[in-house]
Amino acid sequence: MNNWFKSGSPWIWLSAGGVSISLISVVGLLYLIASHGLSYFWPSTLYQFDMIDQQGKPHTVIGEIYDREKIPVKQLAHMDLALGDQEYLERYLVKTGNRELVSLDFRWILVPEIKKTSTPKDLVVIERRTNGNFYGFIESLHLDGEQVSLDKMDELLARVTVFQSEIERLQKSDIGAINYQIERLRLQERKYRLQEKLTPEKEQEIKAKVAALRDDYLVLEKELMALRAKVARDHIKVRAMDGQVVTINFEHILKVEANNQYSFLEKLATFFSKIGSFIVDDPREANTEGGVFPAIFGTVLMVLLMTVIVSPLGVVAAIYLHEYAGNNALTKLLRIAVINLAGVPSIVYGVFGLGFFVYMVGGSLDQLFYPETLPSPTFGTPGVLWSALTLAILTLPVVIVSTEEGLARIPSAMRHGSLALGATKAETLWRIILPIASPAIMTGIILAIARAAGEVAPLMLVGVVKMAPNLPLDGNFPFLHLDRKFMHLGFHIYDVGFQSPNVEAARPLVYATALLLVTIIVALNMTAVSIRNRLREKYRMLEH
Amino acid sequence: MITVSPQNILDSQNKLDLANMSPEQKALDIHNLNLFYGEKQALQNITMAIPKGQVTAFIGPSGCGKSTLLRCINRMNDLVDSCHIEGEINLHGQNIYDKHVDVAALRRKVGMVFQRPNPFPKSIYENVIYGLRIMGENNRRVLDEAVENSLKAAALWNEVKDRLHDSALGLSGGQQQRLVIARAIAIEPEVLLLDEPTSALDPISTLTIEELINDLKQQFTVVIVTHNMQQAARVSDQTAFMYMGDLIEYSDTNTLFTTPVKKKTEDYITGRYG
Repeated sequence: MNNWFKSGSPWIWLSAGGVSISLISVVGLLYLIASHGLSYFWPSTLYQFDMIDQQGKPHTVIGEIYDREKIPVKQLAHMDLALGDQEYLERYLVKTGNRELVSLDFRWILVPEIKKTSTPKDLVVIERRTNGNFYGFIESLHLDGEQVSLDKMDELLARVTVFQSEIERLQKSDIGAINYQIERLRLQERKYRLQEKLTPEKEQEIKAKVAALRDDYLVLEKELMALRAKVARDHIKVRAMDGQVVTINFEHILKVEANNQYSFLEKLATFFSKIGSFIVDDPREANTEGGVFPAIFGTVLMVLLMTVIVSPLGVVAAIYLHEYAGNNALTKLLRIAVINLAGVPSIVYGVFGLGFFVYMVGGSLDQLFYPETLPSPTFGTPGVLWSALTLAILTLPVVIVSTEEGLARIPSAMRHGSLALGATKAETLWRIILPIASPAIMTGIILAIARAAGEVAPLMLVGVVKMAPNLPLDGNFPFLHLDRKFMHLGFHIYDVGFQSPNVEAARPLVYATALLLVTIIVALNMTAVSIRNRLREKYRMLEH
Repeated sequence: MITVSPQNILDSQNKLDLANMSPEQKALDIHNLNLFYGEKQALQNITMAIPKGQVTAFIGPSGCGKSTLLRCINRMNDLVDSCHIEGEINLHGQNIYDKHVDVAALRRKVGMVFQRPNPFPKSIYENVIYGLRIMGENNRRVLDEAVENSLKAAALWNEVKDRLHDSALGLSGGQQQRLVIARAIAIEPEVLLLDEPTSALDPISTLTIEELINDLKQQFTVVIVTHNMQQAARVSDQTAFMYMGDLIEYSDTNTLFTTPVKKKTEDYITGRYG
């Protein structure tokens, strides 16, 4: 035994155990998120349950099985069931959709009440723009009021999809741009008025421009109306589970899927197309449906902005601390302060960002440069710039500490070699020290990105919103709108998972969004790591 | 016993009178130099003149101050915080410790090669032209020419001419040290300081460098610190023996090794201590 201890094997076992536990937790986490998240996209089987309830009345439930569980009979005692001596009962959570008929998308059904379970081939799920999914059997298809064969379904759907994207383009870019320009003209007029430079000619000019834009707008609006009318031409009649026939207009329909008819390959294709639309679409229905594109965009843009701000700041601070500051008590104090900054809870940074950046800096900016929009603030309100700045401050210590470590590791022979050739200290820093320290700087940036991309709490105070009407980057001058609020995947998870009216419906979406967030952070990190590895290879020090 | 090369015996026949050189013969004039590391005095009242176009060696046991003295000549000791210097070193009649001396300009005139080869993690080409780039030279032709001339002068051209743009870190230790010498002479200094340039090298590389030093003195004034007395005897024209921060004896190499005046010098070169 004693020998066994001396051999060192217990420590090897202990270390290996530590590594295994870490690995298992990471893999387990990824597996959990991935399995739950990805199953959201898989076209699941549509069931028809013929049931008889306690009163002996038959009824039918149609939908997808979301969850199943065993519950103690005692818990259902109030329902006064006659179920014999069983201790546990199985029940299914079924997504039944059809929100216009029943207020809840989901219902629990008790397995013993089911008399017959079937999967009819002609059962379809209709994905809609509003009111969620509809489950039922298609009765008939109507082209401009005339009933036509059901085979025409795909053709008509494709036609509508084309018109819908046209409508979206019109609304978002063309009409959006006109509104944006009118707003700018209004602000310009007000600015002149405030500066008392508004001459009648200028006023006339602005009025003429606005009038021209209004005319353009009317043309576009007409176009839009025409398109809307085209989209609303056709409709289908669908029979729901209680036998009621509902008319659904094509303008609300996104997809009609008969999951029970699909082969495995067709299911796979649907799976990937659903993932694709999750990534590129805008959210619908209070974020519980549709995609998360604005959130992806906001997250990535904010992290990139943050990186652009924090890298030079951190590197310059580290250079000062390591190269120029005297080696005295004050420097030591500064260094301790920097390290301690890394331990400050992130929400505190959020409060600081709100108080300092948004209200003080943003408020002053508005006073100075945007008096025409007041009292509605431009920069004096949470926005993507303030979020990036707040997170830059939050991640600053990480960059400073790793850059300083990198600087400290450079052999003094490199400095002396450069100085002895007549380079000044600044030239030595710029030409020799910084390139050699660049892998360490990249390490700092990687850590900063990893921390910033996952941070949500401070952002809730300084710029993230549940639903942003515009992306912070668009086709209207000046293209990058740093004052805009933005959506963020981390906040999206919180919002969908805990703030949405329909938590059951949102749960798979939470996992899917979490998976996406992890993927994006990993992708950002891998990019930074590969850059660092290339730098390392370039500035590899020979071991003497 | 130390053997002195025939070359040195020849030189010693028309040897310089080190105590009474004319200003043109002097490359450097060190006058009453005292150096302190904090409270501790590391150099005591050093006065010597280093002749132009010759090789001067500093020898002495470890810690005697020979490297410290060398580093005074291009003010590398300025990098040590606690270092404090009194006295003067004159280059062209100008005290390099004067307040308004531009240290970077001084170091361009007084190049230095260190104990361990310290090439920058750049290509061979970029290493050689580093000093020129600092001086703002960007003309491709001038740079190409400087690289070829310096590498030839450092006896490295033939070995690396086909891979000038490869990393300098791929060279062997001896090649790296010659590259560093090429880098130092690319900016055409007047004085070249060599701080134990062969102590980290194998015997064959050492020999190459020693031959190189002999060629270099045609163009530069060379000051070399070495702990190897044979090396001092082989390469230098003048030798200074230092002990505990004092300059004990300074004369032409032949005299110092064959008929030392001071007892301490004799003890050292005959290997009684050190």
